[in-house]
Amino acid sequence: MEVPRRPQPSSFTLALPKPLGAIQKVAKKDPVEEKLQEKDGTTEKNQFGEETFSTEEKSGVSVLVETSAETSEIEDSNTSTVTDSKLSSQDSFSEFESSISEERLAQEAEEAKKKSEEEEAAAKERAAQRQLLAIEELVHSEKNYLRLLQLSTVTIRSNLQKLQPPPANLDSMFLYIDEVIEVSSRFLSMLDQKQVQPGDPRFLEMLCDSFLSLSSDIEAAYKEYLAHYNHITVVENSYKQKEGLWNEIVKVIKASAPDVNATSLSFFLVMPVQRIARYPLLLQTIQKHTDQAHPAYALLEQTAHTSIALNCRINEYKRFREVADKYKKTETLTIKDKINRLNSHSIAKKTARLSQQIKHETGIAPKLVDEEFDAVEGFFYVLEHGILQLLENVETYLHHLQGFLACKTEEFDFDMDGEKAPICYKEITTALRQWILPTFEKRMRTLIHKPLCALRDLLVGPRNLIRKRLDKLLDYEVIEAKSNLSYEEQAVANTYRTINTLLLNELPQFNGLALQMIWSMLGTFSCLHKDLASDMEQLFQSFAQQLPHSSLSPGAFWEWAESTVLQGARSLETLCRSVEDTLNAPVVQPLSPSFQRRLKQLTDKHGSGKIYQVIGTVVGSRDLDLNLTKGELVAIISEADSRGDKRRWLVDAGGKRGYAPSSKLIRYHQPAEDPPPSPHLTLPDGVTGLRRHSYTPESRPLTVVSQPCFQVMAAYDFTARGNHEVTVRAGEPVRVLEPHDKRGNPEWSLVEVRGGQRGYVPSNYLTIMPMGMGPPPAGFLQSF
Amino acid sequence: MSWIPFKIGQPKKQIVSKTVERDFEREYDKLQKLEDQTKKLHKDMKKSTEADLAMSKAAVKISGDLLNNPLCEQDQAFLESMTALDTAMKRMDTFNQEKVNQIQKTVIDPLKKYSGVFPSLNMAVKRREQALQDYKRLQSKVEKYEEKEKTGPVMVKLHQAREELRPVREDFEAKNKQLLDEMPKFYHSRIDYFQPSFEALIRAQVVYFTEMYKIFSELTDQIDQAGLTDEQRERETEAKLSELRALSIVADD
Repeated sequence: MEVPRRPQPSSFTLALPKPLGAIQKVAKKDPVEEKLQEKDGTTEKNQFGEETFSTEEKSGVSVLVETSAETSEIEDSNTSTVTDSKLSSQDSFSEFESSISEERLAQEAEEAKKKSEEEEAAAKERAAQRQLLAIEELVHSEKNYLRLLQLSTVTIRSNLQKLQPPPANLDSMFLYIDEVIEVSSRFLSMLDQKQVQPGDPRFLEMLCDSFLSLSSDIEAAYKEYLAHYNHITVVENSYKQKEGLWNEIVKVIKASAPDVNATSLSFFLVMPVQRIARYPLLLQTIQKHTDQAHPAYALLEQTAHTSIALNCRINEYKRFREVADKYKKTETLTIKDKINRLNSHSIAKKTARLSQQIKHETGIAPKLVDEEFDAVEGFFYVLEHGILQLLENVETYLHHLQGFLACKTEEFDFDMDGEKAPICYKEITTALRQWILPTFEKRMRTLIHKPLCALRDLLVGPRNLIRKRLDKLLDYEVIEAKSNLSYEEQAVANTYRTINTLLLNELPQFNGLALQMIWSMLGTFSCLHKDLASDMEQLFQSFAQQLPHSSLSPGAFWEWAESTVLQGARSLETLCRSVEDTLNAPVVQPLSPSFQRRLKQLTDKHGSGKIYQVIGTVVGSRDLDLNLTKGELVAIISEADSRGDKRRWLVDAGGKRGYAPSSKLIRYHQPAEDPPPSPHLTLPDGVTGLRRHSYTPESRPLTVVSQPCFQVMAAYDFTARGNHEVTVRAGEPVRVLEPHDKRGNPEWSLVEVRGGQRGYVPSNYLTIMPMGMGPPPAGFLQSF
Repeated sequence: MSWIPFKIGQPKKQIVSKTVERDFEREYDKLQKLEDQTKKLHKDMKKSTEADLAMSKAAVKISGDLLNNPLCEQDQAFLESMTALDTAMKRMDTFNQEKVNQIQKTVIDPLKKYSGVFPSLNMAVKRREQALQDYKRLQSKVEKYEEKEKTGPVMVKLHQAREELRPVREDFEAKNKQLLDEMPKFYHSRIDYFQPSFEALIRAQVVYFTEMYKIFSELTDQIDQAGLTDEQRERETEAKLSELRALSIVADD
């Protein structure tokens, strides 16, 4: 799609040898047709039908050729009138030949002179006529062009949108066309609004003025449109791929614009592309038919030049855009794709770059240094880093904010309905979680997070271009020194220069804008915090006034709060202690006589500090291990076994000695040392250390054997197995003579039963009973 | 509440009256609910304070990273803005830290202490139940002997059983009485106990947000365009973004 830089006027003035009649016919028909176009739709249809075929499939270049051909057709029509005049002069020559007389000859000469003067005047008039026609052509074609554009953007577009499903990317096809329409209609209205008819010489001046005044707008509008045009073709081709959709689209186009024979969208959308290239041609045509003496001639020339320069600039812009578009996108290729892409050319290119880079690093070849670019590039990288970091931090911030919002601290129920403080707190937190903070978060997201993300996405293009510039720079450096460049090398050099210029022009702009954005975002950040703080302050303040201690000054308040909290903690501690000490105490089993004896014996032998109680039944598994029952008392001889194992203690179990696991032993406190703890909250602190053991007996052991009000009885039947034992029956009162056998073993007791019989019974068969308890039969006691 | 896997013969005599048992259950249910709520609030409070701190730290990092960015070296005005921002953030963080400390001291720690009481209470209730089971077992034993013919051996056993029963019964009764006494007292104590916590919670925030408002008003005056609505801000950002997108070097898709 190249718009010619400078159209060669000579190619248009070339008079084509055409049959005269045909030329004349065209010459006459053309202006008529122009006028007809406004009224009669059918002729127009034919004319444009021809055009369509050429525009549809061909590339932009061919379109241009076509337009220039069209213009040359107009040229033809104009030249035909010129030949027409020559033709009439030829006629006069034949007349001149037929006459003989000199007088007549002189007369003829006179006449011829007069005639040629007349002819000159006529030619002048014809030139004026042609100028007028050319001007009218410009105006009419502009009108027609605008009409068709509006038709396509309004009617066809809205009809296409009604399609089910609507074609994808439809809006992107009409992206910049509105600006083009706008500038075109402004141009037309400027031509229309003044009370000057096209015939007026001042009209030309006005036309030029209008064009010149609009030229920058025209450039801006068409620039974007043309740069975007490739995209339009791509989208349209994608529609063509889907046959059903394409048929629908064509149907819609035909129905919406029945007066033109259009069969595709690009029929309309290519028009601005053709139009901008046509301005120079039209203007040049007018210029050609304008007398140099015309007051507006200089202006006209300037306008024509402007229009050409306009086209050049648009082309340049398009080329820049194309280079930029080619390299700024990040290619997402898999490794496989990348390997497939490798070929000898690309490998050679990459190797050359690498070697060039190595040369730089090693200092073999001097680096091409561009300080201006380096500064801009450095700034860009710093900015990029800053943006990414800021985004990351903002995301962390939002993440924690969400975490904060997820804590439903108001959802607790302490059954404290009457209390002011918890109610206030609940209301505050509800308002905070459901209204204030979500609003804050939403504002953070729309005003800071979203723009930051957008900004981050925009960094990709410049980053890729900078990288590509380096690649191209390396290529360029290799060929820079050469005097003769091949076509390819020239292309490489051009690409490098283009990218470099692009970056130098636009990167500073980018940096500046991005920095401004960050700046204003941080301002917004601060403002959001201000608003949040003000909302929160109001909320909390309004509730804080309702609190019972709101009158206290901050210092006094905190003193009060802390001391109250401390006090609460202390009372809790005491409560805890009392609960643990008193409520968790075990049930105290009465001490059996054998237990008592064991206690006394062990205490005498080892001292009260060494007495331990077994808290669980122990079954010995190793040599010298003892079998112990729960609750049994032992004395510790050594807190380790012979190998120093602290887990096995050597104990004395009332005669037997052996090892027991230390984990099953707990220190036994003689009840006498320990007064029963009061079950209430106030306790002296000193006792607590001892008191933690759950096996602390609560009450004194019940009784001692010698007390007179107690009677020892046999608790179970025992049948003597030899003559040193004695048979007792359960419930039979006995008198204990010795609480152990002859060897001191307390498991046997020497007793005397009714009738004075003496002998041993197992100590644990005996029990102690108070005299008054239970109703023993009267005779039973008396007989004792 | 039967934690003993096998039931020993139930005594015929009603040893704990229905009303006492009901009262006990009710009080204990209340305590259990309170325990759940305390734990939940404690957990939530801790988490929310942690999030609060993390948020404030993240805000400090936002400004800190910007201040350390070489961008500031390039532009004096930008540097000044960032310094102001960073100072404000750091001040905010200090106030926040102070607030969190106060909350920790007056709210979270007491909550933790309060929930620490429940395990011993639960244990006490368990012991009471244990004692009750022992009591029931021995009571049924006594009843068994009482029903039997009063012969000598039975008398001895009955006596023995009664001897065993007596301390167990006393133990249970003491425990029962104390728990019935202690539980409502403890339940009631929550009001006085938590009152200062909630007040402190609110007061701490009042102080914090007042300070924060001061800090950020000052900062906003310094670095922000005053009086913009959100829509204006959005439009402005959008305008800048489209300006950026219009550049050829920017890939916009």
